[in-house]
Amino acid sequence: MILVNKNTKVLVQGATGKMGASHTKRMVAYGTQIVAGVTPARGGSKVPGTEIPVYDTVKEAMDATGATASVIFVPPYLVLDAASEAIDAGISLLVVITEGIPPQDTAKLVAHARAKGVKMIGPNCPGIITPTEALLGILPGSIFKKGPVGMVSKSGTLTYEIALSLSDANLGQSTCVGVGGDPVKGMEYPEVLTMFENDPETEVIVLIGEIGGSAEEEAAEFIKANIKKPVVAYIAGQTAPPGKRMGHAGAIISGGKGTAESKMKALKAANIEVALTPREVAEKVAKLIKQPVTK
Amino acid sequence: MDLYEYEAKRIFAEFGIKVPPSARITKPDGLRTVHLGYPLTLKCQVLSGGRGKAGGIQFAKDLKEGEAIAEKLLAMTIKDSKTESVLCEPKVSIAKEMYLAVTLDRSRGCPVFIAAADGGIEIESNDKIVTMPITFPYSSFQGRKIAKAMGLNGALHSKVADIANKLYRLYEELDLDLAEINPLVVTAGEDVLALDGKMTVNDDAMGRQERFNGWADKHMADLPERERRSKKAGLNLVELDGNIGIMCNGAGLTMATMDMVKNFGGNPGNFLDAGGGSDSEKTLQGLEIINDNPEVKVILLNILGGITACDEVATALVEFMKRHPERKMIVRLRGNNQDVAEKMLAASGTKLYPDLEDAVKAAVAASK
Repeated sequence: MILVNKNTKVLVQGATGKMGASHTKRMVAYGTQIVAGVTPARGGSKVPGTEIPVYDTVKEAMDATGATASVIFVPPYLVLDAASEAIDAGISLLVVITEGIPPQDTAKLVAHARAKGVKMIGPNCPGIITPTEALLGILPGSIFKKGPVGMVSKSGTLTYEIALSLSDANLGQSTCVGVGGDPVKGMEYPEVLTMFENDPETEVIVLIGEIGGSAEEEAAEFIKANIKKPVVAYIAGQTAPPGKRMGHAGAIISGGKGTAESKMKALKAANIEVALTPREVAEKVAKLIKQPVTK
Repeated sequence: MDLYEYEAKRIFAEFGIKVPPSARITKPDGLRTVHLGYPLTLKCQVLSGGRGKAGGIQFAKDLKEGEAIAEKLLAMTIKDSKTESVLCEPKVSIAKEMYLAVTLDRSRGCPVFIAAADGGIEIESNDKIVTMPITFPYSSFQGRKIAKAMGLNGALHSKVADIANKLYRLYEELDLDLAEINPLVVTAGEDVLALDGKMTVNDDAMGRQERFNGWADKHMADLPERERRSKKAGLNLVELDGNIGIMCNGAGLTMATMDMVKNFGGNPGNFLDAGGGSDSEKTLQGLEIINDNPEVKVILLNILGGITACDEVATALVEFMKRHPERKMIVRLRGNNQDVAEKMLAASGTKLYPDLEDAVKAAVAASK
């Protein structure tokens, strides 16, 4: 497993909002150690429907609870400020779920996080799950099973679909990381791939990409040079027309660049197995697993 | 949101970047009150590129010729973009044409200057382009740096550095995805002018840019009707030429579903991402929009409930099928409250496919 486990102490920024509160409850129900909520001017209260204390500032919450990770649910225009507060307070891991953040804010945030050595996942991402240990984000926990497959993905529901295929085939996951579908983001494929490479519990890595940008092509080069564990890739958007934004802010073929074809070609050239359907991902992974896991 | 040239130029002027004097007309006889002298440049105000090549920029030697040209230009549509108005400017005598832009570089994760000291217009095929990452916090030396990287010296270096700094400032202040001056010209009198400009406002930032309040409608005029309806409903629609209507929750899953349709021998008619956590009303709107596409033979609905509750989707589906009992539907629902949804849909006789591949195959078969 990577990034999070059952001992990770987590605070939630925006835990008193509607979405923040409902997902905080779900994360707690999954077994995640949610130790604090942070909402300015709400210090002293509890996260609605729970006994989790709310603090005015991230600093207070960290001092009182020892939290090292923050999950951010605050509205888009407040994310840059909220995340900067967490970085300033000394947080180690930031998971930004919020969608619709103006990209110039994200660029400033990413520069800040990198300068301070803070690991940042997202924005516009489903979060991270280490099955049976911890869930930071909005992923539906029941779909995931514990096992040897590490997953890294730009997408939310497509990750669930592929996790479902894997779990149905009894291929559990070590950790699944949704890096998000925005053009500018915190962690990119190479950082997550390196963590899986160094994680003794991960045997096979699944990389889920989509059209737009060149992150998958760069990942292919990176894998060829640095990753010894087998990788199975899936790229969404083979039928996407050029010049149209396909839902995610980053999913657009522009000036003939960022096509699924180019990404699949680059991955295959790096000897990476490319699956054409979610089920085929599971079939290819099954062949690469040394010790099939049993229920 | 893309801006028209005249809107971009007003913003340039406001931020202290020099532009030629100009007047905008919406009727040919509007030219009678334009006193900029002749020869006069007349330019179609459209949101598409390739305007010059399409004949959207013309020169008039007098009022009579100007009115005839204006009439022609006002009736033009260039690459699906209807002429909104015509911008008139005195013809500028050009000594040098340059290119200067600020945009976000996704692989570097930061804004960049893109510039060229020679030529503009066909910037994509220009081999003298320089790109410079912009670092935070922004400081004026970055304008001097890009002007130097363009190979400029002396007074021209100072002028272009100043324009670059102003361009970055407006890019940041107005939350733009792109601020482009093309061409940035040096006149015979050694003035540096933004002769044409392009700006794209980031869609996600529209809510905090008060000056653009209410602009979205006008700037969506060129979008096809169903795409415009989707945008207003907060749905993401891209139409294709196939006959299988597709609606899913989540962009990646929607693309993957389209790809599977194609791989199993069908033709996707659209991409429609209902987004995470869509309620029944939004789902119903989405289904109606797909249903209005005359090419669509069958609708494939694929919902994997994470945030989205299956019973919310089922509520929309029951209502939709009441309205359109003849519509062929293939429904895949899995996730939160799936059992409730199943009961609701069983009452209306809809078969549910828990497996995505089975659902896609059924949709392809129904489309033949």
